[in-house]
Amino acid sequence: MATLIEAEAVSGGADITPRPPNRRNVRETLVRYRWLLFLMLPGIIYFLLFRFWPMYGAQIAFRDYIPFLGIEGSQWVGWEHFETFFTNPDFPRLLRNTLILAALSLFIAFPLTIVMALLLNELRLNILKRTVQTLVYVPHFLSWTVVVSLTGLLFAVGNGPLWTLLNDVLGTDTNFLADPAWFRPLIVLQDVWKNTGWGTIIFLAALAGVDQEQYEAAIIDGAGRWQRVWHITLPSIRSTIIVLLILQTGQILNTGFEQIYLMSNALNRTVADVFDTYVYFVGIQQGSYSYATAVGLAKAIVGVILIFGTNWLAKRFNQQGIF
Amino acid sequence: MTPRKRLRAPLAILTVTGLALTAACSSGGDEGDGDGNGGGEGDALSSLSIMSPYFAAVPPEEDDPIDQALTELTGVDISVQWVPNTDYGERTNVVLAGDDIPDVMVMGKTPAFVQTAEAGGFWELTDYLNSGDYPNLVSENPEVQEATSVNGHVYGVYRSRDVIRHCIILRADWLANLGLEQPQTVEELYEVARAFTEDDPDGNGADDTYGFINPAWPGSIGSGSPYDALELWHGAGNVWLDDGGELVPSFTTDAWMEAVEYERDLVQNGYTNPDYATMDPATWNEPFLNGQGGIIIDVQSRAPQLVELFREQDPENAESYVALVGQPEGPHGTFAMPTSGYSNFLAIPRSSVETEEQLEQVLQVLNDMNSTEAQILLNNGIEGDNFTVEGEYAVYNEDRQDFTDQVSGAWAQLGTNVAGYNAYATQPATPYDEELAQLRLDLQAEDLENAVFNPAASLASETYQSSGTQLDTLISDARIQFIAGQIDEAGLQDVIDRWHSQGGDQVIAELNELYSELG
Amino acid sequence: MARVKYRFNTPAGKAFDVVNVVVLVGVGAIAILPFLYVLAGSFATEYELTTRPFFLWPNEFTTDAYASILGSTVFVRAFITTVAVTGVGTAIQLALTALMAYPLSKIDLPGRRTIMSLVVFTMVFSAGLIPTFLIVKELGLLDTYWALILPAAINPFSLIIIKNFFQELPKELEESAKIDGANELRILRSVVMPLSKPVLATFALFYAVGIWNDYMSPLIYLNDTSKWTLQMFLRQVTAASSLTAEDLGNELPPPAQGIKFAVVMVATIPVLLAYPFLQKHFAKGMLIGSVKG
Repeated sequence: MATLIEAEAVSGGADITPRPPNRRNVRETLVRYRWLLFLMLPGIIYFLLFRFWPMYGAQIAFRDYIPFLGIEGSQWVGWEHFETFFTNPDFPRLLRNTLILAALSLFIAFPLTIVMALLLNELRLNILKRTVQTLVYVPHFLSWTVVVSLTGLLFAVGNGPLWTLLNDVLGTDTNFLADPAWFRPLIVLQDVWKNTGWGTIIFLAALAGVDQEQYEAAIIDGAGRWQRVWHITLPSIRSTIIVLLILQTGQILNTGFEQIYLMSNALNRTVADVFDTYVYFVGIQQGSYSYATAVGLAKAIVGVILIFGTNWLAKRFNQQGIF
Repeated sequence: MTPRKRLRAPLAILTVTGLALTAACSSGGDEGDGDGNGGGEGDALSSLSIMSPYFAAVPPEEDDPIDQALTELTGVDISVQWVPNTDYGERTNVVLAGDDIPDVMVMGKTPAFVQTAEAGGFWELTDYLNSGDYPNLVSENPEVQEATSVNGHVYGVYRSRDVIRHCIILRADWLANLGLEQPQTVEELYEVARAFTEDDPDGNGADDTYGFINPAWPGSIGSGSPYDALELWHGAGNVWLDDGGELVPSFTTDAWMEAVEYERDLVQNGYTNPDYATMDPATWNEPFLNGQGGIIIDVQSRAPQLVELFREQDPENAESYVALVGQPEGPHGTFAMPTSGYSNFLAIPRSSVETEEQLEQVLQVLNDMNSTEAQILLNNGIEGDNFTVEGEYAVYNEDRQDFTDQVSGAWAQLGTNVAGYNAYATQPATPYDEELAQLRLDLQAEDLENAVFNPAASLASETYQSSGTQLDTLISDARIQFIAGQIDEAGLQDVIDRWHSQGGDQVIAELNELYSELG
Repeated sequence: MARVKYRFNTPAGKAFDVVNVVVLVGVGAIAILPFLYVLAGSFATEYELTTRPFFLWPNEFTTDAYASILGSTVFVRAFITTVAVTGVGTAIQLALTALMAYPLSKIDLPGRRTIMSLVVFTMVFSAGLIPTFLIVKELGLLDTYWALILPAAINPFSLIIIKNFFQELPKELEESAKIDGANELRILRSVVMPLSKPVLATFALFYAVGIWNDYMSPLIYLNDTSKWTLQMFLRQVTAASSLTAEDLGNELPPPAQGIKFAVVMVATIPVLLAYPFLQKHFAKGMLIGSVKG
């Protein structure tokens, strides 16, 4: 057991210093960090087994993978799938639609989650606070299939309650589900409805850690409500906000598949097609796992660059970053 | 920290270890019953594993009486890996990537299947099935078996379905109120749609009805939608049209254009439900029941469903609401829309069934599983337990409804019935139901004479395999956009041109080459 | 403390409180209404569901849908299995994540940056279903409950957030524990963990929900139907609306809408009930001040 830990630690310790580590230093490091390294061991094993070992399978992005032939047995095609993807005539439209949806999520859904958490935090009555918290997180548990069919019901032409209401207010006679102009608002609306309450949980956990004495001291100093939020509450969740923001930039090309697929139809497809739905059609329905993997790989590289980039930016502004 | 709290961690570890042990034990005990074959390499099979989708709420388990009866009947230990139908495709791909492949798998003719079959992953059965050694596997509809093939190579025993299922379902009471006859031609159908919209068929004095009810269709072209049916009735062919020995896509024909104009007029004049582009197909019955719309083009089995729902609402008059009409005559002749006649097939992977002797044995088992006795087991259940026979009908025991549901939702999926369906039909509950069932059979016989089959059904073009979904979606989207008035004829033509240039021309060339080779 | 706040509340602050309550109650109502429709629908007759657009109380009350789901012994068995796997799985996943997060929260740990970069990479890119399946098979985990727990044991996202929380904890407490001679394992257990209850409770919930809602793992890894979890039986019913005629046998009617709704309820309510239990950990939080004192 001990040798295993040491081996792990050497390889782990080796890469912080470019020059070959001195024997004595390695030993000292090992002894000094033995408990920490021991604690981390199961996690390291997990990542090696279940996260990195399967990655040898990513080579199917460069092959024409047929499950029956196995990974090595499938034909090597090099960059072919990547070329097909980037030269595809729909590529600019897919990119545009994907980025717009990602931006809406980043600039609308994400801030709303923070606002909601702050508002919940300001509720005084504990019973009310808990009740509202429980209510708003319920939608998270309904699958997209259910959410989309409920949307269909609410916006049903002729008798849907929201269809009636919105058309009365706007003085129109629109089928919101088919109108390309309404596609993105509906997607954001569903996303906000389903996930905002759930998203507040992380912030509320952070807020639970705020030292109550700080508030008391601020009150005695005569700080108002807004000042307390600005100077105590927000700073205490700032690092959580930044971490979530950094992680979200890495997901910018992942819009999710199910919601968009279920909400798209013949009349709104020009705005609804995104990378994830495209991969579903081309990769999964047409049985081309290789193509789907190639697109996944391309997206991952962009995601990694974005995460490292925003993390670097965060550090430049003296924030903590994720690592 | 209190001592009580300190106890928690060791307790958690104990629980975990406990789970580990139970999981290990139970997996040890059950090993080998779900996968692989009984014998070693080259040996005769003592057991047969089959992978199949199921629709029931709960799949049968290993001790199921049907399982036992089948094992007795075929002489090999049958074990079925049941997979929920919703995710069956996902599961098959993973199973094919592993090395515990079942001996028999229910497969569809997806691009993934075609690739695997062409790479030698499944036994080709053409000669075996035609040899006559397996009398119960000789197809009564050779053109259906042909359609299941990949360029003439048959890789599976198909699961037979009614060849004619499409029909027109109308509100019979509305027809009666307006004094209209049942429509026999597409022009008459149009007139009925107009009258259902404009002539107040429910007599309530309000303009609150329409003719056609069309849902947002989940598939693209050639997937049995109401639009596909209307186009075929107009003479556009079934996905492909044999035009003097040459295959042309339906949507490039004049008849197709005529049909989509017909469809557009139905929408533009308000004779179709306004949410035709977005309506959830699961709610298709609603407007019909609520008296909003009066025409549905769909499979015949929707008619008895509707009758049942009307019974809940108005038991007295339930039988006066639903009219079932056969497929109409078009402006250029009488054409009827068939189904593909099958739903997936039982294919035999080469990596689990390795020798020809084993293959013959598997085919013998499949042959036995298609005997009349086995068909009754798979479709009706166990006589004297969940059903009894009265005349030519099966009467089900209500106390065993759960079991009956499992039979029809799971075991029936293993039935191929290629040489004919010999199990019992369900006894109709009322004389009206019996009439309806007879009417359906009559219409099927009548429409079968005019059925237009897809001439390219068995042909697998390489380009279509790799980009068919996108190409098809291009056309089906444009069709709806045209019907909605978003694009005009020139716009529709632009999309068709795009289809040609983005791979369609290659598909045409490849299919025609195969067509002339095999035709 | 709460009393102190009240005493210093200004009129504007009071007005804000009123508005805040109204807004949040409104938001709560919007969140819950569609769910209540599904609940009402699960007790309604099929005829009512097909004819009434939206309702919160069925005209005709029936429990048929529940009887048909809950009546089977298979369902009860699957329910127990799912509760057990979720409970044990959550404990394992949370423990593994916290154990790895703690060392990574130490800024001076050698190799920390490399490990974090690799973790971030796995968050953005996963190898996909088939390669993971092959590994799980290789490890002999097929048809065991481990296959539902281990492949998703450490969620990189959760790991990063928990690590971040650990990093934020006041260093003085750990320092003083160290001076008292405690090793890292002890510090984690008696200083860090108690202080991180809210965040650990949050991620316990995330993991539990992940296991509870997972249908892909049982679908791919469990052949033996007697081991199946709840979602395997439920998904079949809820996802069936996309069926086209060709998929079905000749006479098989699609599942009733009412059953779908009942299934949604059965699948959701148990995990909804878990929340209020975890919630008390959020509210309690930890009073850093009193620990300090």
